[in-house]
Amino acid sequence: MQKIVDNHPLKAFNSLTLTLENITNKVMTSKYNPFYYHGALPQYYLWVLYLSGLLLFAYYIPTIDNAYFSKNLVNAWTSVDYITKSLPFGGVIRGIHRYAGDAMVITIFLHAIRVWFTDRYRQYRWLQWVSGIVLALFVLFIGQTGYYLVWDERSLLLTRMTAGAFEAIPAIGPGLKTWFLNGDQITNLTLSNFLFIHIGLSFFLLFGLWVHYLRMTRPVMTPPPAVNYILTAFVLICVFLFPINSGQMADLNTQPSSFEIDWFFLFPYALLSQMPVGAYWAVMVLGTVAITALPWIMIPKQPEIETAEVVLNKCTGCSLCYKDCPYQAIEMVPAPAGSRFKLLATVKDFRCSGCGVCVGACAFDAIDLPDLPDAEVNAKIKALLEAKG
Amino acid sequence: MSDAQKTVITLICERAVEVNVDGGGACPDVPGMKVIKFPCSGMIQPLMIEAALKGGAEGVVVCGCQIGDCYYREGNRMIRERLLGDRPPTMKKGTDRRRILALWLARPQKDRFISESKEFIATLGSLAAPEAK
Repeated sequence: MQKIVDNHPLKAFNSLTLTLENITNKVMTSKYNPFYYHGALPQYYLWVLYLSGLLLFAYYIPTIDNAYFSKNLVNAWTSVDYITKSLPFGGVIRGIHRYAGDAMVITIFLHAIRVWFTDRYRQYRWLQWVSGIVLALFVLFIGQTGYYLVWDERSLLLTRMTAGAFEAIPAIGPGLKTWFLNGDQITNLTLSNFLFIHIGLSFFLLFGLWVHYLRMTRPVMTPPPAVNYILTAFVLICVFLFPINSGQMADLNTQPSSFEIDWFFLFPYALLSQMPVGAYWAVMVLGTVAITALPWIMIPKQPEIETAEVVLNKCTGCSLCYKDCPYQAIEMVPAPAGSRFKLLATVKDFRCSGCGVCVGACAFDAIDLPDLPDAEVNAKIKALLEAKG
Repeated sequence: MSDAQKTVITLICERAVEVNVDGGGACPDVPGMKVIKFPCSGMIQPLMIEAALKGGAEGVVVCGCQIGDCYYREGNRMIRERLLGDRPPTMKKGTDRRRILALWLARPQKDRFISESKEFIATLGSLAAPEAK
């Protein structure tokens, strides 16, 4: 019955994770161990980003020239400048928005690494892995559009690089570029489109998270307040130690050539500047496909899952297994005619992990794992007790 | 009852702390301990613990992974709540709870398992003998 517990390819990393968590448990106790809320950490930063983004949105003006005012130059860059320098705590809010984004990327990375190291991404969890990859890609893209919005020289260069990269894609490329710039070239409409992408896609994240949480009973979405305070403190420390400032205002008539890079969001641009655009897309697409396919290619021979089986004539329809199943693999259906009970538990094999929590939840011995029925466990207990007696 | 006849049954998650088990289900590191492994500690039924105690076991050790970390998400939390009486099905009221030890130990914590269970067995010796049925 020794399954994949001791021989999966990342066994060493699994031990490493557990040893590390053992140490954090000693410091913080298991209730406050941030590793046990690894999925909830980026979710917390998402709420921080929504709130700080709402405040920035109130003062942001998505335009590149005097579209709305005639006297002084008012555009995206000056509005961001106003937020940063004149608005009380505006610079702090902007800093929080920037560093919470970076922190979200870091925590998403930790989350992915942990589920990978501890072997929790395969088979009945494939939907979580794949939706997680899609979510991570969207977070990256949303973060990048945030860098276009401030409209300094870096924004201009990034916008031009992105438009060029889109244009190089065969067939859909020119269309993508027109969608991205909201026209054939950079105009006022471009920035309003960026703002729409930035905010609109962040709300798409909620839809993606819904898919991410599907099949998960009681998903862990909220870290305990104490952990939240620590997460917030990390961001605030960065905000006050390394305040955020824009570069020079973008000038459409110039071509900036280099910029400071934020490695959490802008690493694709570092790649893009080093290689031809065709090679860049090849690396990006192949990399994404390879990571997405991990649940299927990492372990060539996946172990067969012994799914739970309901003993039909014993099930009373009490729903305890349905409530406790961690993967929503049990569905209560109306009992067949002639039954003494109203409901009957059924197992959805494609969701079942074979963990046996339903067996523990059943007081009537009415659900079993085929390779270890509870009758066998009880017989084993008896045999062990009698062996010496 | 002589000391040699005392048996403690351990119901343990196969992903939790690594316990050596010989062919007969005994654990050579802790004398008198017999081990049954489960895919997840959440599979352990209160009925199984009661059956072990009724069958003449000196005590029962229930062991899962550290609370907060379960390969199958919630198994150890479930059996913990069942033992505490917070989640149905719970233990029968008449069960002698002094004879049940719950341990939540991760894979590398073998030494802790051995010391804790030895201490538990020592405590059991000072309790009155269980009613044989």
